[in-house]
This record gives sequence, structure tokens and C-alpha cells, in this order.
Amino acid sequence: MALVAVQSLNFAYAGSQREVLRDVSFTIDPGEFVLLIGQSGCGKTTLLRHLKTALTPHGRPSGSVMFDDRPLEDIGLEEQTRRIGFVLQNPDNQIVTDKVWHELAFGLESLGTPREVIRRRVAEMASFFGIVNWYHRDVETLSGGQKQLLNLAAVMTMQPDLLVLDEPTAQLDPIAAVDFLAAAKRINDELGTTVLVTEHRLESAFPLSDRVLVMNQGKLIADECPHSAGATLARQDDPMVFALPAAVRLALTLDEVQLALTASPTTPMTIREGRTYLRAKLAEVGCESAVCTATTRSMTDQRPSASLPAPSSPLLLTSPIPPSFCAQSQNPQSQSLQTTVIEANDVWFRYSRNSEDVLRGLDMSVNQGEFACLLGGNGSGKTTTLGALSGLNKPYRGKIKLLGLNPAKAKGMELFRAGLSVLPQDPQTLFMRNTIFDDLDDAARAHYTDKSARETAVEQVAATTEITSLLRTHPYDVSGGEQQRAALAMALLTNPKVLFLDEPTKGMDAFFKAKLASVLHRLIDNGLTILMVSHDVEFAALYASRCMLFFDGSVVTEGAPREFFVGNSFYTTAANRIGRGLVPGAVSVDDLVAACRVPRANGGVGLTASRSMASEGRTTEASAGKSGLDAATRSRRVDAATSRSMTGAGATVKSDVPES
Amino acid sequence: MRGTERFSSLHPVVTVCYFVAVVGVSVLLMHPLVLGVSFAGALSYALYLNGWANMRKTLPGLLVLMLVAALFNPIFNHRGYTTLGYLGDNPITLEAIYYGLASAAMIGSVLLWFVSYNKVMTSDRFLCVFGNVIPALSLVFSMVLRFVPRYFAQAKRVAAAQRGIGRDVTSGSWYARARNGSAVLSVLLTWALENSVDTSDSMLARGYGLPGRTAYTDFRWRDRDLMAALGFGGAVLVVAVAMIVGALRVTYYPGFVVSSWSVATWLALGVWTALCLAPVVVGVVEEAKWRSLLSNP
Repeated sequence: MALVAVQSLNFAYAGSQREVLRDVSFTIDPGEFVLLIGQSGCGKTTLLRHLKTALTPHGRPSGSVMFDDRPLEDIGLEEQTRRIGFVLQNPDNQIVTDKVWHELAFGLESLGTPREVIRRRVAEMASFFGIVNWYHRDVETLSGGQKQLLNLAAVMTMQPDLLVLDEPTAQLDPIAAVDFLAAAKRINDELGTTVLVTEHRLESAFPLSDRVLVMNQGKLIADECPHSAGATLARQDDPMVFALPAAVRLALTLDEVQLALTASPTTPMTIREGRTYLRAKLAEVGCESAVCTATTRSMTDQRPSASLPAPSSPLLLTSPIPPSFCAQSQNPQSQSLQTTVIEANDVWFRYSRNSEDVLRGLDMSVNQGEFACLLGGNGSGKTTTLGALSGLNKPYRGKIKLLGLNPAKAKGMELFRAGLSVLPQDPQTLFMRNTIFDDLDDAARAHYTDKSARETAVEQVAATTEITSLLRTHPYDVSGGEQQRAALAMALLTNPKVLFLDEPTKGMDAFFKAKLASVLHRLIDNGLTILMVSHDVEFAALYASRCMLFFDGSVVTEGAPREFFVGNSFYTTAANRIGRGLVPGAVSVDDLVAACRVPRANGGVGLTASRSMASEGRTTEASAGKSGLDAATRSRRVDAATSRSMTGAGATVKSDVPES
Repeated sequence: MRGTERFSSLHPVVTVCYFVAVVGVSVLLMHPLVLGVSFAGALSYALYLNGWANMRKTLPGLLVLMLVAALFNPIFNHRGYTTLGYLGDNPITLEAIYYGLASAAMIGSVLLWFVSYNKVMTSDRFLCVFGNVIPALSLVFSMVLRFVPRYFAQAKRVAAAQRGIGRDVTSGSWYARARNGSAVLSVLLTWALENSVDTSDSMLARGYGLPGRTAYTDFRWRDRDLMAALGFGGAVLVVAVAMIVGALRVTYYPGFVVSSWSVATWLALGVWTALCLAPVVVGVVEEAKWRSLLSNP
């Protein structure tokens, strides 16, 4: 007996011919944890919204949606409210009231529940989610992760049978995202609530799920257990394979033939399983059996063996863009020729006289043409750093030089006229017109007075950022990733020499990230210098030319992505964690694949060579940074855990202030 | 305040009634002792709640206001038969000075009671009182409290973001600033409209609009609240009866006369003093109890 049964559902939005949902059928049994994945704009959200009449969009539906063996439209709104809980993407927009306790009670108030019952339910859920310590707080004082947890708890007070989560972690930092998913899983495990969730962060969501539904352009293309879903995606050559967990991608690339034929129930999904799998594979390589044939095959195809996966691979699980320009910054000759455009020397900053220091002796420098990435935990002061560099926050000690100017002393817009542009975290803070074109035109007005010159500039920038087809669209009608690129186009129209990016990959799926990266690379090639602030370790590992780890108010360690991530053990890519101690120096899945494909005697050469080159002269620094970092990351985890459960989120929220 | 101060942990309805009572009596009665006691009670409670450091900024302004009120009456009101002197052609009378002082005390005490009211009646306590009367209003109030600060924060973010792409609200020509300022407003407006769709979805998803909505409050009515309510009610009753029988009557014009110094007057004044000082006394006693508990192992 299924809880949800969707039968050949079709849907087109009112006034549109395009079918957003095409013949979608699936069932969900009570107690299942189902993951729905697919690229942005594939119809996931539209599908989820059909599971609750109050949220169903206007349009032309056909087919049926059954809930608990009854057509959904026959179920009253009161019962639907009670039994089907919905959490949306944006944590802020969903919160209605000003106090945590009131938000928890909101749904029950709507249902007309007596006060005594509300009190009990609210108390139960506040305890279940560890909200007790911030129960009386104003919602405005909560961090993003706490807000989303509150949204979840506010739905759970109604004790729903089905919990629908629509990209709930897209706006959260990685640690808060993992916490949120763990909470959802706990609801599923301990309360037996059925969960249907859409997610981009498959690394953590995949292993949690009982079943994976995959959508592509409005169609359901896979509906199976997570162990075999990866193989199905690979067989269909779906772009979602890029988003799969590193362990799955590793197994898919190495075992593509077997997996495609028979779904293995033992596909590794977590880091731990990935390591076990990798160990076994490396042992095989040691006995020179299947691997040697693979190598010879690749040899005969005359491909460079170590750096690329075997030619027959239809999966293309490599990074879509080779990190070519990493070499550029590592080249000592070009480095000496480059000029430093951003320089900070022993910078100290605090927001008010009595608050704590946010920047404590920050030292950093970025050369022209670099794609530097400032990584660090939530609330560590990364955004504050951008503020200090752009003159928004004035340090009380230390010196900053940006494009030859002192930002703290630059008058008015001097800094921005000199060639600085800042892309804000939230692209929606830039849009005000009815089409993206108008917004871009407005942004260009300051630099191009002539109308035709302006139009050419807009078209050029649109082409660079790959939004030409969206120019006539309302900025709010495009996806988050596209909004980000439109905002980037606006920033580029001021003809910057230095570009600051604040968390540009927030809420983006793997495909849009790759697209953004290709845009950024194009800009770097044209001589732009980029400083990016991000949580996104995988993105930085693949695309940045230099990574800096920000902790406790300053840069703790830095280096080219490979040397940087090799030195870290927690704050690093999933592939690096899988390969730790097994394939030294591996940062991407490709590295792991290469190590398994090629006998280590000769194949390891490429990898080791590049590693030794990279670590030259940095070894001491990196190892010193590493031990410091271990402690740092550990304490950060502990912080996150305690703030969630016991001691109240005072620490987290306080440290969140500079972020916002 | 929660948990540390006894009086403000009473049920919000009791708290509101208390403030209505003390402010009401202070406004209705011009008896100098009643006003003096009210002022003393209001001042001590405000100091007790906010501390000297915080009140130091508020008090000078209040004193100036009271001084103006005290001076205003004798300058413009020339009733009363004890003329002290002349300001130009106009007589300054002793009665008018008395009345001015009384109104200054009244204004001062009412304002100070409101200082404490603001501190004690947080938004959720306010909601608890008025949510019972009109549930819809309580939700609207709560939403306003949520969205006003949120919009201000977003406006700040928008201004910073606009600055980042070269549009500054704080510099440039008057025209450019106005233009950029309106851009910020325009961005904010679009943002608010687009994102409120999410909010309404979230409300619909949680059953907003279903009939029979209740208003939840986190406050429980305890025995202590009943006792406090009865105590306050009794005190107000005594003062009211004294007022009706004329035991607290004072006339200022044409001559300053305190009509009665009967037992009823003293009883009413005693009860009134107890009422005005109750929050502070309860708080101080409570603190003393804590200290003795801590010092006795």
C-alpha cells in the first residue's frame, strides 16, 4: 500500500506550451526516504508542488496524484496541512513570525488546535531538534542553518505522514547542510515519517536515501536504489553523473562495464566505502590483471595515460575543464613577472569597540591574473575580509593595498573607478528592471555614454557569461545559477581589473558550477584577477589557481589547489579523503582513477612528479599549517555540534554576524 | 529579564493591568502625595529594570521636560489668589506653581511607567494580551515585527551590493545620489514582492486561511498571577473608593486646599504606596532570598 502514487502526470504552466512534467509515474511507500535529483530546471520543484494542493502551480495537469489511496484533490486542505509537510528552499522567506516559539506554533494555530495541545507538540519538537536553547529568541538572530531547522521543526509539530523537502540545504553552508540532512534522516528513522527530498549535495544525501528518483527534462529517467542509480545515470549519459558522490564516480569509472550490465548492490557511496573499494582496486593493480589491459588499451589509443580516464569511457567523469591555468601560477617565471594587485599586511579589524576582533593580523597577497580562493568555515570572517579589501570595513591596524590604493582612505568611488568590482552573495540585491537586458544596460550606463557602444558592450558581456538567450527574461524568472551569471555580467560591465566573488556557487548544481567556472576562466584569460570567498571545497579544488584557508581572523595556510588540499585531511575534497594514505596527492576522482588504471611502477610518475614540483619550498609551511588546521576543523565541528544540541547557538550566531 | 525578575514574570495580562492601574490613577488624581509616590515608584522601578548606566541617558531629557511643564503653567495660567510677583503685566501665582509642579510630577511618572512598560512588555507579551482579543491582529503584528527589521537589513545589503558595482548612495552629485537611492528602493521593492511569494506559500502550506484559527501564547496563568491580580485589584479598589468619597480631593484654584486628612486618606495613600513600590520591593526581596540561599550551603 503506497503512501503516494503518482500516475502518468503531465503538466504545462498556464500560458506555456512546454510540458514541464512528462508522463511521470512513481510510488512512495510509507517510511521510505526518497531522494529526487536532476539538473536545475528539470521540473523537480514543479513535481513536488503537485503533492500538495495549496502549492500546486496554475496550469494544465493531467494524470493522477493519489495520497493514501485517495485522489489528492479529494483530500481536504485541513487534512493535507496536517499530513503533508513542506519545507522550501529559502530559509528566510518561509519564516512568518518574529519569535521562534511562535513560528513553531504557526501551523497548529492554523489548524485551530487547542492551546494545551500546541504547548505539548511544540515542546516535543523543540526538544527533538535541540531548539530549547533558542526557543525564546527572535528569528532574526538565528543563523541560516538554524532557520532552516526551525522551518523543519515548524512543519513537524503538525506530525505529518509525508515530509517534502524542496532543496532545503541549497542556501546553507556545508556543515549546516549536513546537520539538516541528518535531522531529516533522524525524523525518518525515529518517527517513521516518509521523506521525499530534492538535493544537489549528493555527497551527503545519496548514502542516506533508500531510493533515488532521477529527472531529466520533465521525465523520470530512473527510479531505483542508490547503489544502482549511478550506473543507470551513466548508461543514459545523464549530466547528473558529475554531481554523484566521489566514491560512486570512482566506482563507475573503474567498473563501468560491469556496473552498466548488472547493478552491484555494493557500489561504494560514502568516503569509508570508497576507501575500502579503492584499497581493493589498488590491490588488483598490484597483481597486474585487468588493469594492464586497460593501460594497454589506452596506450594503443595514444592518449596521455595518467592524466585522463580511459578513452572508451562514455562517462567523462573528469572535471569539465582541465585546470590548465594552475600551471600558470606555479610557474616561477611568470610569477616574478606578475604584479601584486591585492595586498594586506597585518590587518586587524573589529565591528565595534567592544566586539571581538574579526580579522587578526591578516596577511595575504594576490597577483594579477590569479584566481585566488579564500576558503573557510561559516562566520570565520571571509566576507569581512572582502569588506576590508573593498573599503567597506576600515581596519584599525595594518595596511591594505588594492590596485595601488588604500581602500580605507579611498574617497567615494575611487576604488571602483580604479577597477574593482564586487559580486555580492545574493544576486537579487542587484536586479531592479523588468529584463536582464535593462539591468545590464543600466549597469553599463556609467562607462558607455554612447547607446550603440553600450549595446555592443552588453552583448559582449552576455556572450562571455553565456546569458545571451536570457536577456529578455525577467531576472527573477531564471534559476539561481543564471541569476548569478547575470549579476556577474553586471559587475563586468564596470570594466573591472579585480573582481571579488562572495560565495558564487551557493545553491548551484554541478552543471551550473562548471558553466560558471568556464566563464571565470575566460575572464582570467583576459587578464582579470579574481578573489573568491567560498565554502565550496570541490569547486576551489577544480578551478582555482590558489587556495587560502581562512581561520581565526587570518590566512592559516595557502597554496596551489593540489598542494593545498593534499596538506588538509578534513577540509579537503571527497576524492582526497578517499585516497588519503592510498593514493598520495590525489585531489580529484581522476587522480584516483589514474592511480588504479596504471600500474604504479610507471603510471605513478606523472602524479608524483607534479606533486613534488608543487610541494617544493612549501613543505614546512604546509605541514605546519596542517596540524593547526586539524585542530581548527575539529573544534569547528564540535562548535557546530554543541551549538545545535546543548549550549545554545550563541557562538554560532555571533560569529555569523560578519557573514551577513 | 526572564527568570531573574519576579514582577515581569507574571502573566502579561496582569502586567498590563498593573500598568493601566498605576498610570490611570496618576493621571486621574492630582493629589501631590499620590503623584509624589507614583513618581518615586516609577523612577525606582525604571532604575531597577534598566540600571543607572542606561537611565543616565534618558533622565536628563525627562527632567528638562518636567521643568518645562512646571514652568509652563505659572507663566500662562494666572488663576489663584496668592500673587507672588509679576512677569510683565501678568501675575505669577503660588497656586499655579503648585499645579505646574503637580503636572510635572504626573508627566514624569507616566513617562517613567512607560519606560518600564516597554522593558517588561516584550512583543510576545504584548501579543499574548491582544492575541486573545483579535487573533488575526496578533499575527499581523508578529509579521510586522519580523519583516520591518528584515527589510532594513536587506536595504543595507542592497546598498552595499550596489556600491560594489559602482553605484554609491553616499557620494556623487545630488542627482546621482537620488538616482542611486531610488535604485536601492526599487531593488528592495522587487525583492520584497518576489520573495513574499515564498512566504505566502509557506503560510498556505501550513494551513493559513483554514477556519477557526487559534492564537497560541507561551504564557500560563498560574495561582501567583491570580493572587497578584487580586492584590492589585484590591489596592486599586481602595484608592478608587477613597477617591469617590472625597478622601483624596485636592483643589488648586483659587486656593490650594487639601480637603481631607482622614483615616481613609492615609489608608488609601498607604495602599497606593504599596502598589507603586510593589515591583521593586518584590524584586529586591527576591534577590535577598537568592543571596541567602547562595550563602547558606
